[in-house]
Amino acid sequence: MAMKGTGIISGNGDEQRTLVVVFLRGGADGLTLVPPVGNREYYKVRPTLSVPENEILKLGEANCGLNPAFSGLHQIYRDGGLTVVQAVGSNDDTRSHFYAQDLMEHGGQIAGGWLGRFLRYREGSPPSALSAIALGKAMPEVLRGAPAATVMESMDTFTLGSGSGSTAVLQKELGALYGLEETILGPAARDTLEALGRVEKLRRDDLPPMNGADYGDDAFSRGLRQTARLVRAKVGLEAVSLDLDGWDSHFAQATLIKPLMTRLSDGLSAFHRDLGGLMENVTVVVMTEFGRRVAENSSFGTDHGRGGTMFVMGGSERGNVLGEVPELETGILVGPGDVPVVTDYREVLKPILLRHGAGKSMAEIFPEA
Amino acid sequence: MKEQKSDEVSRRAFLRGAAGVALFATSGCEKVEDWLGMGPEEGPVEPPSGEGLDLISHVVNRVTFGSTPSEYARVKAMAETQREAVATYLEEQLAPEEIEDKRAHRAVRRLEAIHAPLGEMYEYKEAFLLEQLTRATLIRATRSKRQLFEIMAHFWSDHFNIDISKKECRWLKAADDREVIRKHAMGNFSDLVRASALSPAMLWYLDGRENRKRDEDEKPNENYGRELLELHTLGVGGGYTQQDVMEVARCLTGWTVRGKDRFFKGKVEFDAKAHDDGAKLVLGHEIVAGGGAKDLEEVLEIVCGHPATARHVARKLCLRFIADEPSEESVDEVAKAFSASGGDIGTILRAVFATGEFLDGARGQKLKRPFEFIVSALRGTRAEVSSEMDLVDYLVRMGHAPFQYPTPDGYPDVASPWTGTLLWRWHFAIALSRNEVSKKIKVDEAQLIEKAGGIAGLASCLLGRVPSDQEKAAMARSGEPLALLLASPGFQWR
Repeated sequence: MAMKGTGIISGNGDEQRTLVVVFLRGGADGLTLVPPVGNREYYKVRPTLSVPENEILKLGEANCGLNPAFSGLHQIYRDGGLTVVQAVGSNDDTRSHFYAQDLMEHGGQIAGGWLGRFLRYREGSPPSALSAIALGKAMPEVLRGAPAATVMESMDTFTLGSGSGSTAVLQKELGALYGLEETILGPAARDTLEALGRVEKLRRDDLPPMNGADYGDDAFSRGLRQTARLVRAKVGLEAVSLDLDGWDSHFAQATLIKPLMTRLSDGLSAFHRDLGGLMENVTVVVMTEFGRRVAENSSFGTDHGRGGTMFVMGGSERGNVLGEVPELETGILVGPGDVPVVTDYREVLKPILLRHGAGKSMAEIFPEA
Repeated sequence: MKEQKSDEVSRRAFLRGAAGVALFATSGCEKVEDWLGMGPEEGPVEPPSGEGLDLISHVVNRVTFGSTPSEYARVKAMAETQREAVATYLEEQLAPEEIEDKRAHRAVRRLEAIHAPLGEMYEYKEAFLLEQLTRATLIRATRSKRQLFEIMAHFWSDHFNIDISKKECRWLKAADDREVIRKHAMGNFSDLVRASALSPAMLWYLDGRENRKRDEDEKPNENYGRELLELHTLGVGGGYTQQDVMEVARCLTGWTVRGKDRFFKGKVEFDAKAHDDGAKLVLGHEIVAGGGAKDLEEVLEIVCGHPATARHVARKLCLRFIADEPSEESVDEVAKAFSASGGDIGTILRAVFATGEFLDGARGQKLKRPFEFIVSALRGTRAEVSSEMDLVDYLVRMGHAPFQYPTPDGYPDVASPWTGTLLWRWHFAIALSRNEVSKKIKVDEAQLIEKAGGIAGLASCLLGRVPSDQEKAAMARSGEPLALLLASPGFQWR
């Protein structure tokens, strides 16, 4: 007696919301990503690295705008799908990549990652096998402690085969045996087989992106494309982590991060376009461990700072700018001359996690905040 | 597999060299694999013949990380009747120090970092320590003959959970595993709690090191005090109040551990100046002022001797060995043994194994957690594993990597949180049987079938009972009986 797929994955399957966490590793310079508007001090301390006022993409009446490389993101903002957060960060003041990333991914001086804890403690049925993926080569700290999490570079991982030979016969026989199972493993097996079937169909069909979305061929864009396909296939995907590395711009910052900004904006724009109306159930959070020193250094770069930038795209975003670029006068700056952290990154994440079903588990997810 | 970096290299290379010399010295009397603790152990195979799980299969399922092809025959030969055989077997397992365990011991001895003295653990990279600790845990679970002891080590690792990713636990958890969990796993509960309370890793994990009162304004840190009552001893609903939590925290003020930026890193010490030396009232017991460091002893005596602690620990042990929802009668019986023996873990376990529910209750209805599933597959197939780290990817995917549970309550020991792991269980079953987990993990399916006297025999060994008609038919049709068996529902339960 083989099990028939019902076409529905129970619990967290079909109505699942997906949270995509993009980490800009290295400390992205908030004053370049989201430069201040009408701020004289900015041009004084950034003689070579400032964005000319007339090139800044305006964000309504806000006292900051988007870097011209973010034309795609700017369009999403104007359509009401992007929120920009300024002077945001953690309470880490070591300015060490390792400590700052660790703290931000753990969600405090605590064990495990906040995304992992979200998946473990959020309300609703237990996560499925495909509920969390890290696109890349290693499990990021943010997903540590998740009840199920898979590191993958492409969805080819989602098969039962580990190398040689087909698994079709085994899959069929397993379906038959689990079909007789009267325990909670029965429905769990049915969901698993259904999800596998959907991924296999996806791989077989290899459909192009929708709505004319055009992804680049870089790893970041490929990751987003895979994510969009899995969201569309409704396999129960709840959380995705992917990185865009290389923001540590101590030297020749302009040439270093311009292509990264383009990649970030183009990738996210393609993803946004590809998913179209499905973005209602998807939230993308872009974060970085810290912003950079306000004044540029002698090698046309910037050093490690404090307050930085976050972007939130999709979901219920309505096109906001949260926080302001503070005056860049000495009295306002912290430490050796850094943008202060006005907003704790967890305050940005909390409403998003609530929307994604955190329910009463916030005390587990961010026990310190 | 992660590789250790720079500073350990010379030390490791040196030790490896030394091991090589020792190897030549002993090679006359033992096989190299024996000496290294690798390779499968042989013994006569006798597949279980019951239609359901018989008593031997049931008990082996519950007190080990899974049967091996020869374990059933070994236990059966211990006495005339299954009852007697099981009784003898349990007594054997309850005296782990009497069980010869050279192979597992040797295999673990090579992992030098986890044997280093406390302060020296900081000389290793954190990732390397985690790797060695994880390997040791997998090796012991898979190969040790002291299976019940290893089960208890896992049980207490969850009960006194420490996530290795928090602060200096990265270096200190390995010492906690050695000096707290393993040292007292089958000893006395009070000793275990005391060792845990003063464990450097625990002082980091639950912020005990920050718990101080140096002046009027300073507020004690309640984190450890709360978990001591809620998780380690009395349990939720154990009759303590918020006031008790605060009073326990006051008693423990001043205990701290030296951080890695200081001399004698990892050293636990009592700072009298940071101790609240006033009088306290804990669970109705008065603790007089001026007790200093002795307050800790008084608190531990009060909480370990509390009847709620006996019931809390008894319930968790019943959950482990009996059922997801054990009967109140079983919990009562075990709690009685706890109180009567003053927390002697061996006596408590005997009480668990003597309950009617354990012996004659439902069998095969505890879901193997992912770690147990993987280890039982390795044991059941006599897999040769020379790279344990190749298994960790699977454990991470299924959310059950050792020492990586984020909150203090430890990995759950009931079925429902683990039902999302089937995909990777099947994936592992297929990869293992096809020898595709990695080049360093080998299973010989043909030999397994031959030794078990056929496919049905192999199925009986793995399932602990004769396969059903449906299972037989599915095995035959699949063309890959081992993969199908390991992935089948029958193999997911213990």
